[in-house]
Amino acid sequence: MESLKLPKDTMLGAAIVTITGNREAFIENYKGILEYTTESIVLQGKNARICFEGSSLSIDYYTNEDMKISGKIDALRYI
Amino acid sequence: MLHWIQYLRGYVAVKVWGYSVERLLNLCGNHDVLVWDIEDHGDYHTMRMSIAGFFALKPLLKKTGTRAAVIGKYGMPFFVSKMLGRKLFVAGLLGCILFWCLASRFIWDIRIEGNFALTEDVLMDYLEEQGIHTAMKKSALEIAELEQALREDYDLITWTSVQLRGTTLLIHIKENEMPVYDNRNKADSDKGMDLVAEKEGVVTYIITRSGVPQVACGDSVQKGDVLVSGAVPVYNEDTTVRRYQYVQADADITLSYARNLSLEEEVAYDEKCYTGESIEIPVVGTGEKEVAFRIRKVPYDFYDTSEEKKQVQLLDHLYLPVYYGKRTVQEYEIVPKMHTEEEMKTLLQGRWRKIIATLNEKGVQIAEKNVTIKKNEKKWVLHAHMQLEESAVKLTPTITPPVKEDEEENPQTD
Repeated sequence: MESLKLPKDTMLGAAIVTITGNREAFIENYKGILEYTTESIVLQGKNARICFEGSSLSIDYYTNEDMKISGKIDALRYI
Repeated sequence: MLHWIQYLRGYVAVKVWGYSVERLLNLCGNHDVLVWDIEDHGDYHTMRMSIAGFFALKPLLKKTGTRAAVIGKYGMPFFVSKMLGRKLFVAGLLGCILFWCLASRFIWDIRIEGNFALTEDVLMDYLEEQGIHTAMKKSALEIAELEQALREDYDLITWTSVQLRGTTLLIHIKENEMPVYDNRNKADSDKGMDLVAEKEGVVTYIITRSGVPQVACGDSVQKGDVLVSGAVPVYNEDTTVRRYQYVQADADITLSYARNLSLEEEVAYDEKCYTGESIEIPVVGTGEKEVAFRIRKVPYDFYDTSEEKKQVQLLDHLYLPVYYGKRTVQEYEIVPKMHTEEEMKTLLQGRWRKIIATLNEKGVQIAEKNVTIKKNEKKWVLHAHMQLEESAVKLTPTITPPVKEDEEENPQTD
Protein backbone atom coordinates (compact mmCIF):
# COMPACT_ATOMS: atom_id res chain seq x y z
CA MET A 1 0.00 0.00 0.00
CA GLU A 2 2.80 2.36 0.94
CA SER A 3 4.74 1.59 -2.21
CA LEU A 4 1.74 2.25 -4.48
CA LYS A 5 1.47 5.77 -3.04
CA LEU A 6 -2.31 5.66 -3.19
CA PRO A 7 -4.22 8.17 -1.08
CA LYS A 8 -4.89 6.54 2.25
CA ASP A 9 -8.29 8.09 2.82
CA THR A 10 -9.81 6.49 -0.23
CA MET A 11 -8.15 3.15 0.37
CA LEU A 12 -8.77 2.86 4.08
CA GLY A 13 -11.87 5.00 4.23
CA ALA A 14 -10.18 7.04 6.92
CA ALA A 15 -11.64 10.38 7.92
CA ILE A 16 -9.53 13.49 7.38
CA VAL A 17 -9.74 16.13 10.08
CA THR A 18 -8.14 19.53 9.54
CA ILE A 19 -8.12 21.80 12.58
CA THR A 20 -7.22 25.46 12.32
CA GLY A 21 -6.16 26.71 15.76
CA ASN A 22 -8.87 25.74 18.16
CA ARG A 23 -11.63 27.63 16.35
CA GLU A 24 -12.31 25.72 13.16
CA ALA A 25 -12.38 22.12 12.08
CA PHE A 26 -12.85 20.76 8.61
CA ILE A 27 -13.82 17.10 8.27
CA GLU A 28 -14.01 14.89 5.21
CA ASN A 29 -14.79 11.24 4.64
CA TYR A 30 -17.26 10.55 7.37
CA LYS A 31 -20.41 8.45 7.36
CA GLY A 32 -22.74 10.62 9.35
CA ILE A 33 -23.47 12.69 12.39
CA LEU A 34 -24.49 11.01 15.63
CA GLU A 35 -24.85 13.80 18.09
CA TYR A 36 -24.91 17.55 17.89
CA THR A 37 -25.06 19.92 20.85
CA THR A 38 -23.14 23.13 21.53
CA GLU A 39 -20.75 21.17 23.79
CA SER A 40 -20.05 18.12 21.62
CA ILE A 41 -20.32 16.91 18.10
CA VAL A 42 -19.95 13.19 17.44
CA LEU A 43 -19.35 11.95 13.90
CA GLN A 44 -19.37 8.37 12.64
CA GLY A 45 -16.30 7.42 10.66
CA LYS A 46 -15.66 4.07 8.94
CA ASN A 47 -13.69 2.56 11.76
CA ALA A 48 -14.10 4.97 14.63
CA ARG A 49 -16.24 7.69 16.02
CA ILE A 50 -14.81 11.18 16.09
CA CYS A 51 -15.85 13.31 19.01
CA PHE A 52 -15.29 17.09 19.20
CA GLU A 53 -15.69 18.61 22.62
CA GLY A 54 -15.75 22.29 23.39
CA SER A 55 -18.18 25.14 23.81
CA SER A 56 -20.51 27.09 21.49
CA LEU A 57 -19.88 24.62 18.69
CA SER A 58 -21.85 25.10 15.51
CA ILE A 59 -21.84 23.56 12.07
CA ASP A 60 -21.11 26.11 9.33
CA TYR A 61 -22.23 23.72 6.64
CA TYR A 62 -22.96 20.05 6.26
CA THR A 63 -22.98 17.93 3.13
CA ASN A 64 -22.45 14.31 2.33
CA GLU A 65 -18.74 14.84 1.60
CA ASP A 66 -17.52 17.41 4.05
CA MET A 67 -18.50 19.65 6.90
CA LYS A 68 -17.10 22.55 8.83
CA ILE A 69 -17.33 23.06 12.55
CA SER A 70 -16.64 26.35 14.27
CA GLY A 71 -16.57 27.29 17.93
CA LYS A 72 -14.12 26.76 20.75
CA ILE A 73 -12.70 23.24 20.41
CA ASP A 74 -11.24 21.81 23.62
CA ALA A 75 -10.62 18.17 22.68
CA LEU A 76 -10.78 15.74 19.81
CA ARG A 77 -11.23 12.15 20.79
CA TYR A 78 -11.54 8.90 18.82
CA ILE A 79 -13.94 6.55 20.54
CA MET B 1 -19.16 34.69 -4.29
CA LEU B 2 -21.01 31.82 -2.66
CA HIS B 3 -23.09 34.34 -0.76
CA TRP B 4 -24.16 36.00 -3.98
CA ILE B 5 -25.18 32.72 -5.53
CA GLN B 6 -27.13 31.85 -2.41
CA TYR B 7 -28.78 35.29 -2.44
CA LEU B 8 -29.71 35.05 -6.11
CA ARG B 9 -31.23 31.60 -5.74
CA GLY B 10 -32.88 32.40 -2.44
CA TYR B 11 -32.73 30.53 0.84
CA VAL B 12 -34.74 30.01 4.00
CA ALA B 13 -33.87 29.92 7.66
CA VAL B 14 -35.56 26.89 9.27
CA LYS B 15 -36.19 25.99 12.85
CA VAL B 16 -36.08 22.22 13.42
CA TRP B 17 -37.10 20.36 16.53
CA GLY B 18 -38.09 16.80 17.41
CA TYR B 19 -36.67 13.37 18.02
CA SER B 20 -33.38 13.26 16.06
CA VAL B 21 -32.04 16.31 14.30
CA GLU B 22 -28.71 14.56 13.72
CA ARG B 23 -30.48 11.94 11.64
CA LEU B 24 -32.17 14.62 9.63
CA LEU B 25 -28.77 16.16 8.92
CA ASN B 26 -27.43 12.81 7.72
CA LEU B 27 -30.44 12.35 5.45
CA CYS B 28 -30.01 15.87 4.10
CA GLY B 29 -26.42 14.98 3.27
CA ASN B 30 -27.49 11.81 1.51
CA HIS B 31 -30.19 13.60 -0.46
CA ASP B 32 -27.81 16.32 -1.57
CA VAL B 33 -29.57 19.02 0.37
CA LEU B 34 -27.00 21.62 1.35
CA VAL B 35 -27.53 22.95 4.86
CA TRP B 36 -25.42 25.61 6.53
CA ASP B 37 -25.20 27.74 9.65
CA ILE B 38 -26.50 24.95 11.82
CA GLU B 39 -26.88 26.10 15.41
CA ASP B 40 -28.02 24.34 18.52
CA HIS B 41 -30.39 26.30 20.72
CA GLY B 42 -31.02 23.57 23.28
CA ASP B 43 -34.50 22.33 22.48
CA TYR B 44 -34.41 23.26 18.83
CA HIS B 45 -31.92 23.77 16.02
CA THR B 46 -31.80 26.44 13.34
CA MET B 47 -30.29 26.04 9.93
CA ARG B 48 -30.37 27.53 6.50
CA MET B 49 -31.09 25.78 3.23
CA SER B 50 -32.01 26.51 -0.37
CA ILE B 51 -35.63 26.79 -1.42
CA ALA B 52 -35.39 23.56 -3.40
CA GLY B 53 -33.78 21.95 -0.36
CA PHE B 54 -36.67 22.98 1.84
CA PHE B 55 -39.19 21.37 -0.49
CA ALA B 56 -37.11 18.16 -0.49
CA LEU B 57 -37.14 18.21 3.31
CA LYS B 58 -40.74 17.13 3.76
CA PRO B 59 -40.35 13.32 3.39
CA LEU B 60 -37.17 13.45 5.46
CA LEU B 61 -38.99 15.18 8.31
CA LYS B 62 -41.59 12.44 8.27
CA LYS B 63 -38.94 9.75 8.34
CA THR B 64 -37.01 11.23 11.25
CA GLY B 65 -39.97 12.37 13.29
CA THR B 66 -38.83 15.99 13.39
CA ARG B 67 -40.74 19.13 12.57
CA ALA B 68 -39.62 22.23 10.77
CA ALA B 69 -40.85 25.83 10.50
CA VAL B 70 -39.60 28.61 8.30
CA ILE B 71 -38.39 31.55 10.38
CA GLY B 72 -36.90 33.71 7.66
CA LYS B 73 -36.88 34.06 3.90
CA TYR B 74 -33.91 35.63 2.16
CA GLY B 75 -32.76 36.27 -1.38
CA MET B 76 -33.83 37.52 -4.75
CA PRO B 77 -36.95 35.36 -5.34
CA PHE B 78 -38.51 36.57 -2.10
CA PHE B 79 -37.45 40.16 -2.73
CA VAL B 80 -39.03 40.13 -6.19
CA SER B 81 -42.32 38.71 -4.96
CA LYS B 82 -42.36 41.26 -2.15
CA MET B 83 -41.73 44.06 -4.62
CA LEU B 84 -44.51 42.84 -6.89
CA GLY B 85 -46.85 43.55 -4.03
CA ARG B 86 -45.70 47.16 -3.98
CA LYS B 87 -46.74 48.14 -7.46
CA LEU B 88 -46.41 51.90 -7.03
CA PHE B 89 -42.93 51.57 -5.63
CA VAL B 90 -41.80 49.39 -8.48
CA ALA B 91 -43.43 51.72 -10.97
CA GLY B 92 -41.60 54.62 -9.39
CA LEU B 93 -38.31 52.77 -9.48
CA LEU B 94 -38.75 51.80 -13.12
CA GLY B 95 -39.89 55.32 -13.94
CA CYS B 96 -36.79 56.67 -12.28
CA ILE B 97 -34.52 54.39 -14.26
CA LEU B 98 -36.37 55.24 -17.45
CA PHE B 99 -36.10 58.95 -16.74
CA TRP B 100 -32.42 58.55 -16.07
CA CYS B 101 -31.86 56.71 -19.34
CA LEU B 102 -33.87 59.29 -21.29
CA ALA B 103 -32.32 62.28 -19.55
CA SER B 104 -28.81 61.07 -20.23
CA ARG B 105 -29.47 61.40 -23.96
CA PHE B 106 -29.59 65.19 -23.64
CA ILE B 107 -27.09 67.91 -22.86
CA TRP B 108 -27.91 69.50 -19.54
CA ASP B 109 -24.99 71.80 -18.98
CA ILE B 110 -22.64 73.82 -21.15
CA ARG B 111 -19.29 74.95 -19.80
CA ILE B 112 -16.83 77.19 -21.51
CA GLU B 113 -13.22 77.37 -20.45
CA GLY B 114 -10.23 79.35 -21.59
CA ASN B 115 -12.09 82.48 -22.68
CA PHE B 116 -10.76 85.86 -21.60
CA ALA B 117 -11.66 88.47 -24.15
CA LEU B 118 -14.81 86.72 -25.36
CA THR B 119 -17.29 86.65 -22.53
CA GLU B 120 -19.32 83.63 -21.70
CA ASP B 121 -22.53 85.46 -22.62
CA VAL B 122 -21.25 86.20 -26.11
CA LEU B 123 -20.27 82.59 -26.64
CA MET B 124 -23.53 81.31 -25.17
CA ASP B 125 -25.48 83.54 -27.56
CA TYR B 126 -23.35 82.27 -30.41
CA LEU B 127 -24.01 78.66 -29.40
CA GLU B 128 -27.71 79.43 -29.24
CA GLU B 129 -27.53 80.75 -32.80
CA GLN B 130 -25.82 77.55 -33.85
CA GLY B 131 -28.70 75.61 -32.33
CA ILE B 132 -26.73 74.41 -29.35
CA HIS B 133 -28.47 74.88 -26.05
CA THR B 134 -29.18 73.01 -22.87
CA ALA B 135 -31.78 70.26 -23.13
CA MET B 136 -30.79 69.49 -26.72
CA LYS B 137 -30.25 65.95 -27.90
CA LYS B 138 -26.71 64.70 -27.77
CA SER B 139 -27.14 63.04 -31.14
CA ALA B 140 -27.91 66.40 -32.76
CA LEU B 141 -24.50 67.72 -31.78
CA GLU B 142 -21.76 67.74 -34.40
CA ILE B 143 -18.60 68.20 -32.39
CA ALA B 144 -16.16 68.59 -35.26
CA GLU B 145 -18.42 71.08 -37.02
CA LEU B 146 -18.85 73.14 -33.88
CA GLU B 147 -15.11 73.29 -33.34
CA GLN B 148 -14.57 74.43 -36.90
CA ALA B 149 -17.39 76.98 -36.77
CA LEU B 150 -15.99 78.51 -33.59
CA ARG B 151 -12.57 78.90 -35.16
CA GLU B 152 -13.95 80.32 -38.39
CA ASP B 153 -16.41 82.77 -36.89
CA TYR B 154 -14.08 84.20 -34.28
CA ASP B 155 -10.65 85.30 -35.45
CA LEU B 156 -9.64 85.57 -31.83
CA ILE B 157 -10.05 81.86 -31.23
CA THR B 158 -7.03 79.92 -32.35
CA TRP B 159 -7.75 76.51 -30.88
CA THR B 160 -10.92 74.73 -29.83
CA SER B 161 -11.75 71.48 -28.17
CA VAL B 162 -15.32 70.36 -27.68
CA GLN B 163 -15.99 67.43 -25.41
CA LEU B 164 -19.07 65.67 -24.19
CA ARG B 165 -18.54 64.53 -20.66
CA GLY B 166 -21.63 62.74 -19.44
CA THR B 167 -24.39 65.26 -19.99
CA THR B 168 -22.04 68.23 -19.88
CA LEU B 169 -20.79 69.91 -23.02
CA LEU B 170 -17.29 71.14 -22.33
CA ILE B 171 -15.95 73.76 -24.70
CA HIS B 172 -12.31 74.62 -24.31
CA ILE B 173 -10.93 77.46 -26.37
CA LYS B 174 -7.62 79.26 -26.67
CA GLU B 175 -7.62 82.89 -27.63
CA ASN B 176 -5.02 84.56 -29.73
CA GLU B 177 -2.72 86.48 -27.45
CA MET B 178 -1.50 88.72 -30.28
CA PRO B 179 -3.73 91.76 -30.76
CA VAL B 180 -5.96 91.73 -33.81
CA TYR B 181 -5.78 94.96 -35.77
CA ASP B 182 -8.87 96.60 -37.03
CA ASN B 183 -8.51 96.77 -40.79
CA ARG B 184 -11.81 98.37 -41.58
CA ASN B 185 -10.42 101.87 -42.13
CA LYS B 186 -7.55 100.74 -44.28
CA ALA B 187 -7.95 101.76 -47.84
CA ASP B 188 -7.55 99.47 -50.77
CA SER B 189 -4.15 100.07 -52.25
CA ASP B 190 -5.45 101.17 -55.64
CA LYS B 191 -8.34 103.31 -54.39
CA GLY B 192 -7.83 106.67 -52.73
CA MET B 193 -9.64 107.91 -49.65
CA ASP B 194 -10.69 111.53 -49.08
CA LEU B 195 -11.13 113.28 -45.78
CA VAL B 196 -14.54 114.95 -45.80
CA ALA B 197 -16.06 117.45 -43.37
CA GLU B 198 -18.80 116.01 -41.21
CA LYS B 199 -20.05 119.39 -40.03
CA GLU B 200 -20.34 122.94 -41.22
CA GLY B 201 -17.67 125.20 -39.70
CA VAL B 202 -14.35 126.97 -39.98
CA VAL B 203 -11.03 125.14 -40.29
CA THR B 204 -8.87 126.25 -37.39
CA TYR B 205 -6.05 123.75 -37.64
CA ILE B 206 -4.79 121.52 -40.42
CA ILE B 207 -1.70 119.36 -40.68
CA THR B 208 -1.68 116.94 -43.58
CA ARG B 209 0.29 113.74 -43.49
CA SER B 210 -0.81 112.29 -46.78
CA GLY B 211 -3.06 113.53 -49.56
CA VAL B 212 -3.64 116.98 -51.04
CA PRO B 213 -5.21 119.54 -48.71
CA GLN B 214 -8.10 121.41 -50.33
CA VAL B 215 -8.63 123.93 -47.57
CA ALA B 216 -6.44 126.21 -45.49
CA CYS B 217 -6.69 127.52 -41.94
CA GLY B 218 -9.54 129.98 -41.65
CA ASP B 219 -11.56 128.60 -44.57
CA SER B 220 -15.26 128.00 -44.06
CA VAL B 221 -16.44 124.59 -45.10
CA GLN B 222 -19.82 122.98 -45.62
CA LYS B 223 -20.79 119.52 -44.57
CA GLY B 224 -19.53 117.03 -47.15
CA ASP B 225 -16.73 119.26 -48.47
CA VAL B 226 -13.51 117.47 -49.31
CA LEU B 227 -10.82 118.70 -46.94
CA VAL B 228 -7.94 116.49 -48.00
CA SER B 229 -8.05 114.69 -51.33
CA GLY B 230 -6.71 111.20 -51.71
CA ALA B 231 -5.81 111.77 -55.35
CA VAL B 232 -2.27 113.14 -55.60
CA PRO B 233 -1.54 114.53 -59.05
CA VAL B 234 1.63 113.66 -60.91
CA TYR B 235 2.61 116.49 -63.25
CA ASN B 236 4.07 116.54 -66.70
CA GLU B 237 6.89 118.89 -67.43
CA ASP B 238 4.45 121.41 -68.79
CA THR B 239 2.73 121.37 -65.38
CA THR B 240 -0.29 119.55 -66.76
CA VAL B 241 -1.50 116.60 -64.79
CA ARG B 242 -0.22 113.38 -66.14
CA ARG B 243 -2.03 111.02 -63.83
CA TYR B 244 -3.19 110.68 -60.27
CA GLN B 245 -1.65 108.59 -57.55
CA TYR B 246 -4.21 107.45 -55.05
CA VAL B 247 -3.46 107.47 -51.35
CA GLN B 248 -5.40 107.36 -48.14
CA ALA B 249 -5.74 110.94 -46.95
CA ASP B 250 -4.53 111.43 -43.42
CA ALA B 251 -4.50 114.73 -41.55
CA ASP B 252 -5.17 116.39 -38.21
CA ILE B 253 -8.00 118.83 -38.83
CA THR B 254 -9.99 120.86 -36.35
CA LEU B 255 -13.28 122.45 -37.32
CA SER B 256 -14.73 125.24 -35.28
CA TYR B 257 -18.47 125.88 -35.18
CA ALA B 258 -21.00 127.69 -33.05
CA ARG B 259 -23.79 126.01 -31.17
CA ASN B 260 -26.70 127.44 -29.22
CA LEU B 261 -28.44 125.58 -26.50
CA SER B 262 -31.23 126.30 -24.07
CA LEU B 263 -32.39 124.32 -21.08
CA GLU B 264 -35.71 124.86 -19.34
CA GLU B 265 -36.72 123.88 -15.87
CA GLU B 266 -40.19 124.48 -14.41
CA VAL B 267 -40.40 125.75 -10.86
CA ALA B 268 -43.63 123.90 -10.09
CA TYR B 269 -43.59 120.13 -10.08
CA ASP B 270 -45.62 117.18 -8.91
CA GLU B 271 -44.00 114.96 -6.37
CA LYS B 272 -44.86 111.34 -5.84
CA CYS B 273 -45.32 110.68 -2.15
CA TYR B 274 -45.54 107.04 -1.17
CA THR B 275 -48.13 106.56 1.53
CA GLY B 276 -46.42 103.44 2.82
CA GLU B 277 -49.40 101.29 1.88
CA SER B 278 -48.47 98.32 -0.28
CA ILE B 279 -49.72 94.91 -1.33
CA GLU B 280 -47.64 91.94 -2.32
CA ILE B 281 -49.16 89.59 -4.89
CA PRO B 282 -47.51 86.26 -5.69
CA VAL B 283 -47.10 85.71 -9.42
CA VAL B 284 -46.49 82.54 -11.40
CA GLY B 285 -46.01 82.59 -15.13
CA THR B 286 -44.79 80.76 -18.17
CA GLY B 287 -43.81 82.52 -21.38
CA GLU B 288 -46.21 85.39 -22.05
CA LYS B 289 -48.89 84.22 -19.67
CA GLU B 290 -48.93 85.22 -16.06
CA VAL B 291 -51.19 84.41 -13.18
CA ALA B 292 -51.46 86.73 -10.20
CA PHE B 293 -52.87 85.28 -7.01
CA ARG B 294 -55.28 88.06 -6.18
CA ILE B 295 -59.00 88.23 -6.82
CA ARG B 296 -59.95 91.66 -5.53
CA LYS B 297 -59.05 94.89 -7.28
CA VAL B 298 -56.17 97.01 -6.07
CA PRO B 299 -57.83 99.56 -3.74
CA TYR B 300 -55.55 102.52 -4.64
CA ASP B 301 -56.12 105.43 -7.06
CA PHE B 302 -52.45 105.92 -7.90
CA TYR B 303 -49.98 103.15 -7.56
CA ASP B 304 -46.64 101.87 -8.81
CA THR B 305 -46.16 98.23 -9.64
CA SER B 306 -42.86 96.50 -9.46
CA GLU B 307 -42.20 92.84 -10.13
CA GLU B 308 -39.47 90.57 -8.96
CA LYS B 309 -39.33 87.34 -10.88
CA LYS B 310 -37.12 84.32 -10.75
CA GLN B 311 -36.87 81.67 -13.39
CA VAL B 312 -36.93 78.06 -12.30
CA GLN B 313 -33.40 76.78 -12.65
CA LEU B 314 -32.39 73.15 -12.52
CA LEU B 315 -28.66 73.32 -13.20
CA ASP B 316 -26.15 76.07 -13.90
CA HIS B 317 -27.42 76.76 -17.40
CA LEU B 318 -30.67 74.90 -17.47
CA TYR B 319 -33.66 77.16 -17.06
CA LEU B 320 -37.22 75.96 -17.28
CA PRO B 321 -39.66 78.33 -19.00
CA VAL B 322 -41.48 78.84 -15.73
CA TYR B 323 -40.94 81.74 -13.41
CA TYR B 324 -42.31 82.84 -10.10
CA GLY B 325 -42.06 85.91 -7.98
CA LYS B 326 -44.05 88.68 -6.41
CA ARG B 327 -45.63 91.86 -7.62
CA THR B 328 -45.49 94.77 -5.22
CA VAL B 329 -48.13 97.45 -5.55
CA GLN B 330 -47.26 100.67 -3.75
CA GLU B 331 -49.74 103.47 -3.27
CA TYR B 332 -48.69 107.07 -3.80
CA GLU B 333 -50.20 110.52 -3.72
CA ILE B 334 -49.38 113.37 -6.06
CA VAL B 335 -48.36 116.46 -4.15
CA PRO B 336 -47.81 119.74 -6.08
CA LYS B 337 -44.61 121.41 -4.92
CA MET B 338 -42.28 124.26 -5.83
CA HIS B 339 -38.54 123.97 -6.26
CA THR B 340 -36.50 126.29 -4.07
CA GLU B 341 -33.94 128.56 -5.69
CA GLU B 342 -31.14 126.32 -4.51
CA GLU B 343 -32.80 123.23 -5.99
CA MET B 344 -33.36 125.01 -9.32
CA LYS B 345 -29.70 125.91 -9.45
CA THR B 346 -28.52 122.37 -8.82
CA LEU B 347 -31.03 120.95 -11.30
CA LEU B 348 -29.96 123.24 -14.14
CA GLN B 349 -26.28 122.93 -13.32
CA GLY B 350 -26.59 119.17 -13.25
CA ARG B 351 -28.09 119.09 -16.72
CA TRP B 352 -25.53 121.59 -18.04
CA ARG B 353 -22.62 119.56 -16.63
CA LYS B 354 -24.00 116.42 -18.21
CA ILE B 355 -24.04 118.10 -21.64
CA ILE B 356 -20.44 119.27 -21.24
CA ALA B 357 -19.37 115.83 -20.11
CA THR B 358 -21.01 114.27 -23.18
CA LEU B 359 -19.22 116.74 -25.45
CA ASN B 360 -15.89 115.94 -23.78
CA GLU B 361 -16.51 112.29 -24.21
CA LYS B 362 -17.00 112.79 -27.94
CA GLY B 363 -13.69 114.63 -28.13
CA VAL B 364 -15.28 118.03 -28.65
CA GLN B 365 -13.43 120.96 -27.14
CA ILE B 366 -15.21 124.04 -25.96
CA ALA B 367 -13.26 127.08 -27.14
CA GLU B 368 -15.70 129.63 -25.86
CA LYS B 369 -18.94 129.63 -23.96
CA ASN B 370 -21.43 132.20 -22.87
CA VAL B 371 -24.06 131.07 -20.42
CA THR B 372 -26.99 133.10 -19.15
CA ILE B 373 -29.83 132.08 -16.89
CA LYS B 374 -33.19 133.85 -17.11
CA LYS B 375 -35.46 133.43 -14.13
CA ASN B 376 -39.14 134.17 -13.74
CA GLU B 377 -41.95 132.97 -11.48
CA LYS B 378 -42.75 129.89 -13.52
CA LYS B 379 -39.52 128.67 -15.01
CA TRP B 380 -35.81 129.16 -15.33
CA VAL B 381 -34.18 129.06 -18.74
CA LEU B 382 -30.48 128.52 -19.34
CA HIS B 383 -29.13 129.86 -22.61
CA ALA B 384 -25.69 128.88 -23.74
CA HIS B 385 -23.75 130.02 -26.76
CA MET B 386 -20.73 127.86 -27.38
CA GLN B 387 -17.92 127.82 -29.83
CA LEU B 388 -16.93 124.19 -30.26
CA GLU B 389 -13.87 122.67 -31.83
CA GLU B 390 -13.89 119.16 -33.09
CA SER B 391 -12.07 116.93 -35.50
CA ALA B 392 -15.29 116.29 -37.42
CA VAL B 393 -13.94 114.45 -40.45
CA LYS B 394 -14.51 111.09 -42.02
CA LEU B 395 -12.95 108.98 -44.73
CA THR B 396 -14.82 108.44 -47.98
CA PRO B 397 -13.52 106.84 -51.14
CA THR B 398 -12.18 109.25 -53.71
CA ILE B 399 -14.85 109.35 -56.36
CA THR B 400 -13.31 111.46 -59.07
CA PRO B 401 -10.04 113.27 -59.25
CA PRO B 402 -10.34 117.04 -59.03
CA VAL B 403 -12.00 118.05 -62.25
CA LYS B 404 -10.24 121.27 -63.05
CA GLU B 405 -6.94 119.89 -64.07
CA ASP B 406 -5.36 123.25 -64.71
CA GLU B 407 -5.92 124.47 -61.20
CA GLU B 408 -4.17 121.49 -59.80
CA GLU B 409 -0.90 123.35 -59.70
CA ASN B 410 -1.85 124.39 -56.25
CA PRO B 411 1.08 125.73 -54.26
CA GLN B 412 -0.26 123.88 -51.22
CA THR B 413 0.63 120.50 -52.64
CA ASP B 414 3.07 118.77 -50.39
